[in-house]
Amino acid sequence: MVDLSQYLPILLFLGVAIAISSIFVFLPMGVARLTGAHKPTAAKLAEYECGFPAFEDSRSQFDVRFYLVAILFIIFDLEAAFLFPWAVSLEEIGIAGWATMMVFLFELIIGFIYAWKVGALEWE
Amino acid sequence: MTEFFQTHLGAGFGWFVANLILILLIALPLMLAVAMIIYADRKIWAAIALRKGPNVVGPFGLLQSFADGLKVFLQETIIPSASNRGLFLMAPIITFTVALLAWAVIPFGPGMVLADINVGLLYVLAISSLGVYGVVISGWASNSKYPFFSAMRAAAQMISYEVSIGFILISVILWAGTSNLGGIIDAQRGTILGIFNANALNPLLFPIAVLFFISSLAETARAPFDLTEAESELVAGYQTEYSSMAFALFWLGEYANVILMCALNALLFWGGWLPPVDWAPLYYVPGIIWFFLKIGICFFMFSWVKATVPRYRYDQLMRLGWKIFLPISLFWVFLVSGYLMITRYGALS
Amino acid sequence: MIQTFAFYLFATIVLLSGAFTIFAKNPVHSVLWLILAFFNAAGLMVLAGAEFIAMLLVIVYVGAVAVLFLFVVMMLDIDFAELRAGFARYLFFGIVLAVFLAIELVLGLEAFRAGAIKLGTATSAPVDAAVPNLEAIGALLYTKYVFLFEAAGLILLVAMIGAIVLTHRKRSGTRPQNVAKQVRRRPQDAVRNLTPEIGQGVDL
Repeated sequence: MVDLSQYLPILLFLGVAIAISSIFVFLPMGVARLTGAHKPTAAKLAEYECGFPAFEDSRSQFDVRFYLVAILFIIFDLEAAFLFPWAVSLEEIGIAGWATMMVFLFELIIGFIYAWKVGALEWE
Repeated sequence: MTEFFQTHLGAGFGWFVANLILILLIALPLMLAVAMIIYADRKIWAAIALRKGPNVVGPFGLLQSFADGLKVFLQETIIPSASNRGLFLMAPIITFTVALLAWAVIPFGPGMVLADINVGLLYVLAISSLGVYGVVISGWASNSKYPFFSAMRAAAQMISYEVSIGFILISVILWAGTSNLGGIIDAQRGTILGIFNANALNPLLFPIAVLFFISSLAETARAPFDLTEAESELVAGYQTEYSSMAFALFWLGEYANVILMCALNALLFWGGWLPPVDWAPLYYVPGIIWFFLKIGICFFMFSWVKATVPRYRYDQLMRLGWKIFLPISLFWVFLVSGYLMITRYGALS
Repeated sequence: MIQTFAFYLFATIVLLSGAFTIFAKNPVHSVLWLILAFFNAAGLMVLAGAEFIAMLLVIVYVGAVAVLFLFVVMMLDIDFAELRAGFARYLFFGIVLAVFLAIELVLGLEAFRAGAIKLGTATSAPVDAAVPNLEAIGALLYTKYVFLFEAAGLILLVAMIGAIVLTHRKRSGTRPQNVAKQVRRRPQDAVRNLTPEIGQGVDL
């Protein structure tokens, strides 16, 4: 059974961490209002561009390769996820379990080689 | 300590107070360490470039980071009118929270750990994979061109190197037989000829120790992989629109992540809180000192690299991650597990 | 006590963020609410004693799948007006789907009330409860459920190849770096030492 008492400090830590970082963000905003540093102007609030108004919407369409990287990442991440329980129970499952994982890895290496050959990993 | 508070304040409340103190004992020194390590970083670069570095504020400029902090604290927080206000302010909070949170499972000494969970290493991996969000959200919420480009680059870079980090971790888990961080350290006791306490000195694991070091540079977007902040192309990267403490939080988070990665290097490959040599007198030195020493050495290497190595180009970065690190780390999983099957688990006999 | 409290905390946030995922106007906000839901679902998993599954939820769903979602909604130029126009077109299919889901829900609830489902013989917990999560899964997944495991590998393979086929475009006019070629290049291939006469040029 999982020792839940070990997870409670993590929850508490999450609360503390959020509290600390929120204080860091919001306290200076208040302080700036009190000290008079808070003086927004239209030019100051404009988005950064090299001295001229922006030509176009900044959220432009992006190269499809970024999606491909994300998809490949999901697949390899899942593969790694399957490896974790295998790594800790290798002694128990023996050579049969080891061979099972090698077959699994082989299946994915085929995919990896395909990705390499097609040029999905190319950037220029 | 928990018992002390529980006897005086009752079981529930005493536990709460004790853990709160423990958490603050981790979080506050961490922030102090970040401030000092920024100073150390600047001093090391300066020394390598034959400059003096910060030397005005306090003795040897030791208080430089605090002066910077105070300056930043009193600044105005500028929220661009085109930005998405809520998310814009949330991004630094996420970055910093995530950077703090991973420390919950790091063992500082024998038994000195806040949350001793079985899946400790997985927890660190999970939390560090959340680091992408602070970057991506800040880039998108700024609604400005450079932050957006930088955020996309950063996200693709981080996830690319996380893949090989995952496989490297698996090799370490294979060797230790557990994913509990304390267990991984214990497994390194006398691992080399009964003398040295370090996985990295094992010839089989040394290559992946190097791989992990380089991957951690890329994962924390340090030089030579700091393309997210390539100032010649992207101004200041995803932080361009930020000011005041919101900006500083990105810095703090970034450096907290750097220290975390150094700690992981020390834990996984250099024996954590164990002394480097398995020799009884060395065990009288508290483990936490060995651990901090190892983190310090690792951090020195981080800044050494930053001061000497030129920045990668983006295609080279992706090539290194996907075409070199991924196959090697995958092959090492095969190699380590095969070696263990034959030697430790007696597959051939 | 604190466990019950944590359960209600996580469960409420999961439900609320699920609702916000649907009702948020901006797709990016939707994805962020979805991430919050995943995160709290991981908390619920920890409460249920499945720490490995909880970590997987964070690593795979929050750390990988949601990143892809975020990439897609952030980078595709989504025209909101066009989206609304599509709403009426897909209304019919949407209603059909909703009806089917509702039927499934009712059936599921009825089946649950009818009593436990018996498929084969009921077994007690197959692994000792003292064994950590990770090892318990490992002991079963790679021995008893080999075929399912390998099938998962094949599905991942298909997913990988499918994703590449769908998104990969051969681009022309690019000049990728050939590292091997660069490394192989020697001074002899590139440099000539010449002593040209005065007034004469060098043939390249």
